[in-house]
Amino acid sequence: MFNPRNPRFKNMKRMKPRIAVFKYSCCAGCEFQLIFFQKHLLETLKAVDVVYCKMLKSGGVEAGPFDVALIEGAITEEWQASQLKKIREASRYLIPIGSCAVCGGIPAIKNSTDELDVEKRVYADTAFLHSVTAAPIDHYVKVDGYVKGCPMGERDLDELVISLLLGKKPVFLEYCVCVECKLRGAICVLVAYGEPCMGPVTNAGCGALCPVNNRACYSCWGPMRDANAKALADQFLKMGLRKEDIFRKFTEFGQPTDEFKPGALT
Amino acid sequence: MSHREKIDIDYLARVEGETSIRVELARQSAIELKIFEPPRFFEGFLVGRNYDEVGDIVSRICGICPVSHMTTAIQAIEKAMGITVSQQTVILREIMVISQIVASHLVHLYMFAMPDYHSRSGFVEMLPDTPKAARRLLKMKEVMNELTGLIGGRALHPVTHLPGGFTHICPAANFSAMAKKLRNIRRDAAGVVEDIASLEFPDFHSDSEYVALDSQSHYAVNEGAIVSSRGLRISVDEYRGYFEESQVPYAFAKKSAIKGRPSFMVGALARANIKFSKLHDEAKALAGKAGVTFPCDNPFYNNLAQALEIVNGIERCIELIESNVFKDEDRHVRLHSGEGGSVTEAPRGLLYHWYRIDRQGVVEKADIVTPTSHNFLNIEKDLKKLVKENSDRKRAEIIALCEKLVRAYDPCFSCSVH
Repeated sequence: MFNPRNPRFKNMKRMKPRIAVFKYSCCAGCEFQLIFFQKHLLETLKAVDVVYCKMLKSGGVEAGPFDVALIEGAITEEWQASQLKKIREASRYLIPIGSCAVCGGIPAIKNSTDELDVEKRVYADTAFLHSVTAAPIDHYVKVDGYVKGCPMGERDLDELVISLLLGKKPVFLEYCVCVECKLRGAICVLVAYGEPCMGPVTNAGCGALCPVNNRACYSCWGPMRDANAKALADQFLKMGLRKEDIFRKFTEFGQPTDEFKPGALT
Repeated sequence: MSHREKIDIDYLARVEGETSIRVELARQSAIELKIFEPPRFFEGFLVGRNYDEVGDIVSRICGICPVSHMTTAIQAIEKAMGITVSQQTVILREIMVISQIVASHLVHLYMFAMPDYHSRSGFVEMLPDTPKAARRLLKMKEVMNELTGLIGGRALHPVTHLPGGFTHICPAANFSAMAKKLRNIRRDAAGVVEDIASLEFPDFHSDSEYVALDSQSHYAVNEGAIVSSRGLRISVDEYRGYFEESQVPYAFAKKSAIKGRPSFMVGALARANIKFSKLHDEAKALAGKAGVTFPCDNPFYNNLAQALEIVNGIERCIELIESNVFKDEDRHVRLHSGEGGSVTEAPRGLLYHWYRIDRQGVVEKADIVTPTSHNFLNIEKDLKKLVKENSDRKRAEIIALCEKLVRAYDPCFSCSVH
């Protein structure tokens, strides 16, 4: 993943890492998370060079080269996909940040309905629209890791920046929310209260935020790798949920993902 | 310079979302705010979703005002389904919405607007000139985010807020610790007003109608009547009888207008113009010290109104936290069909959400109008006047002025193409 010896970039000068941030279809919340980076903002800005980030500053180098390109948002128009391919060429590492970029997120809910029907509900004249099926970043280009979450998690963002500065491979969490729930000693809302919790199939990183706040996880972190969505969907059926409720649960975040498809189709 | 010349600002930086501005100097009517941020069809895909998902989904309309979208939607759904909430829920919602308004104003003032006045390309480039301001911003923003998170579980896209109330209330000790932190940043808040009052705002006057929520008792954010500076006074239920939207070919955002009237302004300046007398005494005193009086017809002063709202908001939160003890409560929700709308004051102004819910609790129709749609026509109107009054200036100066004006409105283009 983070391989500084990648020959494609061997001539790039070693200096402060050049970071670029690009926004596609999303709420820009990850960019807010980034430009604030809570207590670390000022020290981080000393260690890296943000060369392109429209929300942060005017101007900037759109063409690269970049050490790291951070991409937020889902791809919903074709010009975004072609720009994304150019960014990939110009970047040593390209990392999607946040659920929209990682797994389609909220913008991909529309994929469940016929595109024109969705458009007609919003615009009287749909002739000037050119939206396409919402897709995550790795649908179009190769990526070098994922910073998951909605908004992206601070823990993974810390890990990414530190790894970049140390030249090491970042370790992102690859287990489900249930693990964090147990680590925090929280009561299982699925088993104890019969709440339809998405924790067993959702990637960790939030610290079991919803269960500790007395509600079922709604999978805003997107699917965990190799999630067993079918088993959870069957459990929801046994608990008395209707098929359309289960469908909604598996399409709120991560509609385009292979992991959640078996759950949505139950 | 040639008067046939066009000015194209390809990509307006330091705003939330994506837009460009086109100005044809020969024909001032050809000013276009080209909002090219891709449409996201929230009103389209909310159809078919469950009533209790809506708050979580619509908070993702905006990364800077998620609490406003969530709260407005939840209030609308409660009205549609006939759900009543406790007084405690009403108070917690007010604190949460104010905490986000203050945080949003801070970001806007220091990171988006202020670099214009220091002739810098961004906040980072401005840091060497204003190290104190940077520390002030970070310190205050952290406290306000913590306050949102205290109630919502998470500052950005809260999780505890559902139709009927909150799923979890944190211990009383956390609230009193928070009140202390808020008291600690009071002086910084006054400093924000000083920082902003010291900026040299362009001398510009706009003939605008101002629209805000107003209630008898206080500087309302989540309830009240929709009131304008030109005599409009309607209830939230009457919104669609008075406000209409139209589509233009060059922007994915719609333009909102009050039927039969040209344009209007919403946001901090509109609120200060409509209900200055209801601001906290401290905020009023600081306005006096800054030498500004309201009503004020200079849209650049929206930034100063935001600074005053920061002071007002912090005082209001201290008051509400110190005069209440919050406890865990049950939420009472039952499925019921119906329709209903809600209007709140988002950081950038009036925000409208309306839903029709079927007997199973599923959304049949959704209608959302954001502050930037409300301001769209007024921004273009002010741009025209600004360009006309400054047409003898250098091209670069005109561009800088146009950008400064649009930023003063604190637009959110991501919201506008929800």
